[in-house]
Amino acid sequence: MADRELTFEIFRYNPQKPETKPYLQTYKLKETTGMTVFVALNMIREEQDPSLMFDFVCRAAICGSCAMIINGRPRLACKTLTKTLPAKIKLFPLPVFKLIGDLSVDTGTWFRHLSLKTESWIHTSKTFDPKAQEERMDNKTALEIYEAERCIECGCCIAGCATANIREDFLGAAGINRVARFMVDPRDERTPEQYFEVVGSEEGAFGCMGLMACDDNCPMELPLQMQLAFVRRKIAKIGLGVKEKKGVKLA
Amino acid sequence: MLLQKTLSKSNKTDLYLDLVELTSGLLLVGFLWTHMLFVATILISQDTFNKLSEFLDTYYLSYIGIPFIIVIALFHFVIAGRRIPTRIQEQRIVWRHAKMLRHTDTWTWVFQTITGMAILVLGGIHVWMITTGWPIRAINSAERMESFWWFYLVLLIVGEYHAGFGIYRQFVKWGWFPRKPIGYISKVITAIILVLGLAAMVVFVQLGGTL
Repeated sequence: MADRELTFEIFRYNPQKPETKPYLQTYKLKETTGMTVFVALNMIREEQDPSLMFDFVCRAAICGSCAMIINGRPRLACKTLTKTLPAKIKLFPLPVFKLIGDLSVDTGTWFRHLSLKTESWIHTSKTFDPKAQEERMDNKTALEIYEAERCIECGCCIAGCATANIREDFLGAAGINRVARFMVDPRDERTPEQYFEVVGSEEGAFGCMGLMACDDNCPMELPLQMQLAFVRRKIAKIGLGVKEKKGVKLA
Repeated sequence: MLLQKTLSKSNKTDLYLDLVELTSGLLLVGFLWTHMLFVATILISQDTFNKLSEFLDTYYLSYIGIPFIIVIALFHFVIAGRRIPTRIQEQRIVWRHAKMLRHTDTWTWVFQTITGMAILVLGGIHVWMITTGWPIRAINSAERMESFWWFYLVLLIVGEYHAGFGIYRQFVKWGWFPRKPIGYISKVITAIILVLGLAAMVVFVQLGGTL
């Protein structure tokens, strides 16, 4: 395996230079043991083409910067071993997000918009007292919040989503998962009606068509189907005026 | 803030549409599967088939059921159909996306919309043929089936495909059960109904041949 010669076909386009139309450029590279797509891209940039644009920061599947379309599927370059791929590897930037150039996209603006739209912060009337003891939370709730918080905002779920590809205002799995995270948080004092306002439309919970490309392509393997379904059921209940049992937070 | 969007914003519409899509879909799947079980009574005997049909006539169940299902189907077409990309550019994006992603559930959805359109046309013809050739008796059905078996073969396949994947997708969206077992169960039911439908077709065509 380790002496394969890999052929990379990489999407090249610089929106700053629109006179050059988008094209695929071919690079050849000798595969090494344990090579990831991220390592290969760095080698190509160092040894063959310093003009190649792509994003990375952590190289450990934490920052979510290096998400791209690898052989048709949204993946993290740093988490994808070349040995799992055929010798011919096609790389495209993620769709939906603004293209910066070649494989580099701006997911930041999109996710900032998501945070503002879903108001991704704890809404509380309490004033923070730095000297007070931290409020306690039961372990189950903490784990539920943590599960949703594992999202690294790489954008793979958005790129894989047919709805997000055609409806610009759709929040996608990342957005709905974010809302789920606040819905289970007992510190967030938003009323059910306020949550309905945030995701009770086709831009949110009811926009999902259930194609589950998000669930199948999430590099962090978040339980996105269940998160989407959870929000859909809760929001439907709120909209229909079904009362939750007293003393129980939305979860 | 855009004026036209702010003024046209309705709080609950998207929720209600989603629920109508779900309810009409479940009713139609229930209808289709019952329908196919009824048709399959021909496998027992002509007499059973005729008796069941007469029973449905005597108690006016056909006369209530058929218009009801037509209305539900039209609702389902308009409301579930709102998801179908209508602009050419959106169509191009979706096809390109599906080809690129090579993802099973994305492809099954593409075919879901195609089979939906096919059912609208073929189902319409089917209802017309049945209602103008009333009542439903084994002999009438056998004649129809012998002449138009290819038509019914296509309708059977697209109908069962649409129903099977449709109900699977609703369960996935609402998350009442885990995804994998639901996919398996809906496929098994679809396969059983298809086998029953095909067997009934063979019996009908043979019966038509003896007439």
